[in-house]
Amino acid sequence: MQVLRLILSPLAALVIGILFLGLSRKFMARIQWRYGPPLYQPLIDILRLFTQRSVSHGVVFDLGIILTLAASFVIVLFLPFGGLCPMSGSGGLLVVLYMMLLAPLGMALTAGESANPNSSIGISRWFILALGYEVPLLLVLLAVMTRYDTISLVEIVAAQRSHTSSIATFPLVLSGVAYLLIMPAVMGLRPFEVVQAPQEISSGPMAELGGRYLAMATVQHALSMFIGISLFVNLLWGGASNPLVFLLKMLVMFALVLWVNAAFPRLRIDQAIRFLWRWPTFVAFVGLLLVVVIGD
Amino acid sequence: MDRNQLIKWIEAPAKMAHKYSLHAVYFCTGCGIIEIPPAITARWDAERFGVLPAATPRHANLFLITGYVSLKTLRAIIRTYEQMPEPKYSVGFGSCPINGGMYWDSYNTIKHLDRYIPIDGWIAGCMPRPEAIFVAVTHLWTLIEKDMADGYKRYRVHYSEYRANQERILGALEWPPLFPKE
Repeated sequence: MQVLRLILSPLAALVIGILFLGLSRKFMARIQWRYGPPLYQPLIDILRLFTQRSVSHGVVFDLGIILTLAASFVIVLFLPFGGLCPMSGSGGLLVVLYMMLLAPLGMALTAGESANPNSSIGISRWFILALGYEVPLLLVLLAVMTRYDTISLVEIVAAQRSHTSSIATFPLVLSGVAYLLIMPAVMGLRPFEVVQAPQEISSGPMAELGGRYLAMATVQHALSMFIGISLFVNLLWGGASNPLVFLLKMLVMFALVLWVNAAFPRLRIDQAIRFLWRWPTFVAFVGLLLVVVIGD
Repeated sequence: MDRNQLIKWIEAPAKMAHKYSLHAVYFCTGCGIIEIPPAITARWDAERFGVLPAATPRHANLFLITGYVSLKTLRAIIRTYEQMPEPKYSVGFGSCPINGGMYWDSYNTIKHLDRYIPIDGWIAGCMPRPEAIFVAVTHLWTLIEKDMADGYKRYRVHYSEYRANQERILGALEWPPLFPKE
């Protein structure tokens, strides 16, 4: 049973992540009054990339992208998906926090080995952006952990299910707002799409990836979208008792993020970090202070 | 369009995927750059056919050369084409890459692009309408389905001739041969 859950959970994340990719392209197309590609267009793209010849730039190039993908799959194992959580032991939240930095790290190895200047710029932007959103994210997580007195994601979800969603309670509503502000940065969407930025730095870290390497990077992007939304729904919106309700909640959040993505242009990296370290950090810090002061 | 026919996907998944996921590098010289944005944005929306602009040649499998080709850009075109992963398809857009067009007597543009890189299809006109791009895409689908879009295979087989042509017009090339001689 445990083995089945270990396989089923990443598979569900993969399917939903790719569905999100397709949905985002269709959604953006409809916003721009276009017809748009079919919903399964990302599947066609990934299939095409896997059947193309690909160029490797060395062993580290191969290992880096595998590390990125593996880290994303490991995070997925620790996230409850509507009652389904293969790694439900205590301390899941800390593992997620550590693992979230592994994705840019693996990509840095790949980008460094490919020796493309655009990749170097892209990867440095990714690390700066990660530095930007990790500070408010840490404050949000600390607030939630302090409020529910646990570091287990499953227990946080259970505590919210017995009372009410944390975003509906007073001090944690501030943490929720802070997380909403950093969510596009966690998922790499506009206005924080500084890492890929096809028009400025030719897809950044992905500039030298072709064929199956690009397919793996696409899958990683799909998983990072899943992780960014799933973390919000679990931590602050009460999770769900069955996967269907959970998926519904994720879709609502995804529509919100896509609307922001369609409405805002891309920030410069210095503007992005100035924003991330100012408003979300401030709101999250106030939230944490209030949680500590008010207590139970 | 047979994108919705599941049986074809089961029979030849790779071929179908290559047909319906054409990520394009637009090599825009001269007036070609004006013709591409309407085709990929809201007015004509190339994305509904699976055609999407790619930022680097590594991501792409369709190479669209729009406009005249001067000697300097020929160098970049050859390098871009060689960097694209196989299978790749190249299409000449407008009359300039076909036979020189209005630059037929220019000292600095090449007249026949297919002497230097293999071309799978041409879109004639000066300039062609954006609809012509979509007609070309549907023709390219037919060619891919019948295994007739084999420019990348021809490049491999006749590489020494292509390389000789490139060196004749550009002088010594600063990059090594893509396919070293056996």
